[in-house]
Amino acid sequence: MTTPTSPGPGGVRLADLAQVIRSKNAGPTQLTIDIFLNDAQAYAQASQSPAMSCAAVARRYGMDPAQVQRHLIPGIHAIKFVLPRQVVAGSPGDGDVYGAQQHVPMLEVRL
Amino acid sequence: MNAVARLRQWHRPADGPLRVLAASGQLGYGIPEPALRRGMARAPHFVGCDMGSIDPGPYYLGAGEMAAPAEMVYRDLDLVLCAALDAGVPLVIGSAGTAGARPHLEAVVAVLRRIADARSLRFRLVTVSSDIAAERVVGAIDAGQLVPIGAIDMPSAQQVHGCSHIVGQCGTDTLMQALALGADVVLAGRACDTAIFAALPVMLGYPMGLALHMAKIIECTSLCCQPGGRDAMLAELTMEAFTLESMNPDAHATPASVAAHALYEQADPLSVEEPEGVLLLDEAQYEALDAHRTRVRGARFVARDKPSVKVEGASLVGQRVVLLAGVADPGFLDRLPQALGLVEQRVRALVPGDWAVYPHIYGQGAVRPLAEGTLRAGEAGLVLEFIAPQVALARTAAGVFKQNLLHYGYPGRKSTAGNLAFAFTPSEVDAHAAYRFVLYHVMQDVSTIDLFALNAIDVDGQHVH
Repeated sequence: MTTPTSPGPGGVRLADLAQVIRSKNAGPTQLTIDIFLNDAQAYAQASQSPAMSCAAVARRYGMDPAQVQRHLIPGIHAIKFVLPRQVVAGSPGDGDVYGAQQHVPMLEVRL
Repeated sequence: MNAVARLRQWHRPADGPLRVLAASGQLGYGIPEPALRRGMARAPHFVGCDMGSIDPGPYYLGAGEMAAPAEMVYRDLDLVLCAALDAGVPLVIGSAGTAGARPHLEAVVAVLRRIADARSLRFRLVTVSSDIAAERVVGAIDAGQLVPIGAIDMPSAQQVHGCSHIVGQCGTDTLMQALALGADVVLAGRACDTAIFAALPVMLGYPMGLALHMAKIIECTSLCCQPGGRDAMLAELTMEAFTLESMNPDAHATPASVAAHALYEQADPLSVEEPEGVLLLDEAQYEALDAHRTRVRGARFVARDKPSVKVEGASLVGQRVVLLAGVADPGFLDRLPQALGLVEQRVRALVPGDWAVYPHIYGQGAVRPLAEGTLRAGEAGLVLEFIAPQVALARTAAGVFKQNLLHYGYPGRKSTAGNLAFAFTPSEVDAHAAYRFVLYHVMQDVSTIDLFALNAIDVDGQHVH
């Protein structure tokens, strides 16, 4: 499934190695981002990439690295990030009550 | 004899698997009937439905209204109630009417009574009330026993009292107490999704860890399958394992799809907090029985000394009016954020009072922050949210804002006849009231026995005919 990793300018796109990249609330105060990689090789490449560290993801979302948690689930080739929501879901000023469109910055990640 | 009493009398875990049918993960949005019928043909020992969630936001809890359309709630309840009563098995429904507060519970009881009257049904209903008194929450704050879940402020006593509704998520123990009263139907206010499906198995002697893990997966029906869906899901539970099977023959529960579901809407995929303790999934094993079914074992449960209960509370922010408009002029698109700020200042001078405006500029970062270079699109959609204590003030602010933005002049402006495109007029629309979550906290060391009130009702739809 995974195409040979020949990083072009800026590296391989995470979106090309993952079958699912999604975000959703885990309750109204947290956002969870789930990434399901295509296979074990893609998982190994993604989980070891500096672009997939808590610090790198925190930068993408404009947060402090200490606010981001990462869970690795090798058995199903999954990587999960948990971030605080900037606005409690549904409070005035929120733009995404379910948090279902906050995965987009991850589509741009290059490993 | 009621259905729970019958099941307790006749089913022993040694007799063979307990068949649990999850009929709906979101009752009120249209239960797919073919899969429900196939599930009922498998002779489940009980039927469970989840009816609520905190996901739709604070409005439903705050306003005491259901998110699902009333007619579809009637249709879905009619389906599952008739199916369970016909089969003589218990029906367990949790998180009544979306948010599970008193008005939601009462609304769902009223629908059940209407169905009973329409169909001449008799059944014993046990309800669980999940409302928590503000004083109780304030007492927990004072005792240092209220802990925020994630990034939410610790409320003041006044803010707690300002909540229009406060609910606690009742757990497996509470639903077991409700079932113990003897019931055909158990309807809980706000409840843990897991409790709906775990309480009866645990009561019958199945292990808590296994029952909770099964419940955690099937509460979303066939969402754990490949492809995911909303069709009824059957679990067959033994003392050692459970087997998952979608009642849609084209939705397959595979080890990968089931394990992946543990991540869904969950911060920690291997540890699930429950009122009575923690469900640990680090040793869970998923094994394909065939292309359609997966067997799961290995979940552990670690009880805590005293239960913890998640509490949710929402309070009114104000009345909301929204202004809808489009912008296409490139010069105006470039300066839209500044224009909104300057127009707001002008409107403040004209319309005094405690109103607030929240701009959502679709196409320019309303959904997520956009980088500078990517901001300018062909056009932008403008949703301006006005919130004020009185709807009249919100309308006034929205109307005056609209006209000032339409004719806002700026250097180099070429479109001197107007800056906005309206799809319709009036372009300012009364929206529902605005609420916010004040409470999304854990109340520690509580006695759940006196927290959740139980009530048994003999519903008799035969006397009316």
